[in-house]
Amino acid sequence: MQRSARVAGRFQEAGLLLVVVLLGAFLAWASEPIHVGGRTVNNFLRLDNLIPNVATTMSWMAILAIGVTMVIVAGGIDISVGSIFGLAALGTAAVLQHFPEDAPAWWVVPVGVVVPLAIGLTCGLINGVLVTGLRVHPFIITLGTLSVFRGIALVSVPMKSVPAGDRTLPAAFTEQFISWQIYVEREGAMPLLLQPVPMIIMAVVLIAAWFFLGHTVAGRQIYAVGGNEEAARFAGLPVARIKVRVYALSGLLAGVAGMVSTGYFGSANTATGEGYELMVIAAAVVGGASLAGGRGTALGAVLGALVIKLIENGIFILRKLDLGFVTLSLSKEYSKIIIGTAIILAVTVDRLSERWRR
Amino acid sequence: MIQFQSVTKRFGGIIALEDVTFSIAAGECHGLVGENGAGKSTLGKILAGNLRPDHGRVVLASGARVGMVHQELAFCPDLSVAENLCLGSLPRRGRYRVDWAAVRRCSEELLSQIGVTLDVWRPMRTLTTGQEQLVQIAAAVGTGANILVLDEPTSSLSEAEAHRLFALLERLRAQGVTLVYVSHRLPEVLRLCDRITVLRDGRYVATLDRAEATTDRLVQLMIGRSLAEYFPGHLDTPPGPVRLRVENLRSPGRFEGVSFAVRAGEIVGLAGLVGAGRSEVAQAIFGLDPHASGRVEVDGQPVRLGSVRAALRAGIGLVPEDRKRQGLVLPLSCRLNFSLAILDRLRRRGWLDQRAERAVATRLFEQLAVKTPSLETPVAALSGGNQQKVVLARWLARELKVLIVDEPTRGVDVGAKAAIHALLDELAGRGLAILLISSELPELLNLATRILVMREGRLVGELGREEATQERLLEWMAGVEVSAGRG
Repeated sequence: MQRSARVAGRFQEAGLLLVVVLLGAFLAWASEPIHVGGRTVNNFLRLDNLIPNVATTMSWMAILAIGVTMVIVAGGIDISVGSIFGLAALGTAAVLQHFPEDAPAWWVVPVGVVVPLAIGLTCGLINGVLVTGLRVHPFIITLGTLSVFRGIALVSVPMKSVPAGDRTLPAAFTEQFISWQIYVEREGAMPLLLQPVPMIIMAVVLIAAWFFLGHTVAGRQIYAVGGNEEAARFAGLPVARIKVRVYALSGLLAGVAGMVSTGYFGSANTATGEGYELMVIAAAVVGGASLAGGRGTALGAVLGALVIKLIENGIFILRKLDLGFVTLSLSKEYSKIIIGTAIILAVTVDRLSERWRR
Repeated sequence: MIQFQSVTKRFGGIIALEDVTFSIAAGECHGLVGENGAGKSTLGKILAGNLRPDHGRVVLASGARVGMVHQELAFCPDLSVAENLCLGSLPRRGRYRVDWAAVRRCSEELLSQIGVTLDVWRPMRTLTTGQEQLVQIAAAVGTGANILVLDEPTSSLSEAEAHRLFALLERLRAQGVTLVYVSHRLPEVLRLCDRITVLRDGRYVATLDRAEATTDRLVQLMIGRSLAEYFPGHLDTPPGPVRLRVENLRSPGRFEGVSFAVRAGEIVGLAGLVGAGRSEVAQAIFGLDPHASGRVEVDGQPVRLGSVRAALRAGIGLVPEDRKRQGLVLPLSCRLNFSLAILDRLRRRGWLDQRAERAVATRLFEQLAVKTPSLETPVAALSGGNQQKVVLARWLARELKVLIVDEPTRGVDVGAKAAIHALLDELAGRGLAILLISSELPELLNLATRILVMREGRLVGELGREEATQERLLEWMAGVEVSAGRG
């Protein structure tokens, strides 16, 4: 009795997994073999492509997508996440640049964690309070705050990029924490460079969000409010509080993503995260979140981010695509066209499969 | 005129129609009756071409054109009546410009064909449901439809509007239009239709001529057994102490000075015309009205107004009037809908105890005989009666003192209706105070210990069970010839 629904739930993400596998198979087939250290390897299907170029760099996008998914499940939308992400990243860099480069970890890491999270949470709370207090459509509110938060980032630092030229962020936050590197020796190949911390943070956020959405009262309330706000009110749920909570969480996760980005790159600039909102919403939607509310999962958001990152990576790897009847030469400039098309395609397939299942 | 040949339709695993075969003659008014979920609306939609059958087919006589009048009205609410009527082919002047004079002429002509006059420049949104329906009929008939499918056309019409609709349908039939009338309101069907087809659980049961059809016979065919008249058992025990006391409750613009009390073990009916303020009073008691003032007490303890949580803590439950809009979260499963009001009690150290949730849901669904393939089925897939049972189960999971039910059997089939009545009776017997709002007078007369009447936002009177009759209630509700009483 309960099994059927669990299978159905699993099926939805299984469909996404299938998309990931098919996409990967296609990229492996289409990419040219390259020669590294006397060995021939598939240019796509090699760990020193997949780990640094896909898994690590998708981390912050996936974290953002999880936050936005929560808002979408609650029937709202948050398009300001890119700006919150940028503001948190910049704020972190601006604060940490005043620390000596060799400042001890117990001093740097708490600051480097608290600052972006506080910025994100504050921005998210502002969004939530405005949406519930003014009763204006969240698209409009977060369109406004998208501009405001970006503007704050622009006016609050005198230079475009932080830290300024002659300084670097404390190593305790970057090389010894978020961009911590390990080399894995491999037989007959170049050592593999691993920077695992962003992926670990992404995994922790995923597990926490999965637990929160699926296994707590507060998570359940989000689905109810998104599915039918009025019925939720008639059942006695604190609708306004629930909505403020999801925007706050989305902001908080944008802060986490900002922290990861700053620690990974060792810097941030006033354009960090510009245009991210579209990628992130796309990831959430590809991951199965319904803009009508009431539907979406954390795992879906991460898989959605993975799909988008794979497409980006594929364009970077392939350069030239020989389809037999036509040869396309791809450049980075094509990525927007291809990603946009992929989004529409993915959501169409999802809707069709849902109709087919009924 | 119309032949259904072993029509079968499935929605996922649910069989909506199975092997339905019968025919409808030209020019007749054919009733389609059955419990909710019997498949009558699905059959109507298939006839109108809105749905395709999985197997079998519908054979229409040559020249037949089908028009449909829905429950869910299909217009652009911000465009005018005229624009909506001509939307398919707006008359033009030249290539691009709309010929507004022709739009007006054509729409007025369409309306006059069915004998209706309306200001055609009014936005659709400002029309009453009845007027909208007339516009739908005008659109269908005007485009040459000679078969008209009406799906529960009177479900949101006032008495007077319904009578006007019946007169119009009689005229259309006289003009030779074939009418297919889908409804579960048997008196209407018996009055209008020449022949009546009964469906049960997606299967064809029988077609009766009007002469041989009676309410009893139809009900028997619809539910497959005969229905004994129901005598509420809670009347056997005298009511206990006052559980719900409402004093001078008012909400500006909605209702004024409402005072009454409900004792433990009582079912108090609340009668009134649509718009009299009954649902508004119910929602104010339940804390949904931030502008309400006055005093509400449960077991002598005052309840803070304007807070649903305070009402819940006090032990008040509300089964709202509009099940789909206010009662259910349609995309979610039965289990999730069921547990909405008890989420706070399922909290176990941060976790949501889904095992306990399933256990309670299973127990209550069994107790209420909710017909669903599983707890995880989306609640939208259930029939109206079963949906209502899910809402009721939600409140049974809490320890209630006061239960307010607003139109609990609207759009619910005969079998579920009897089950809901029995349940309310049983709950009263267990010592709950029940406030029953209903537009169906027989329901009130049958079930209630006493009946309060509201008119235009005020309580105008109270009738005991013995003195209450349909006639007296109607008089008080409409405000004609108010006899002795508080009014």
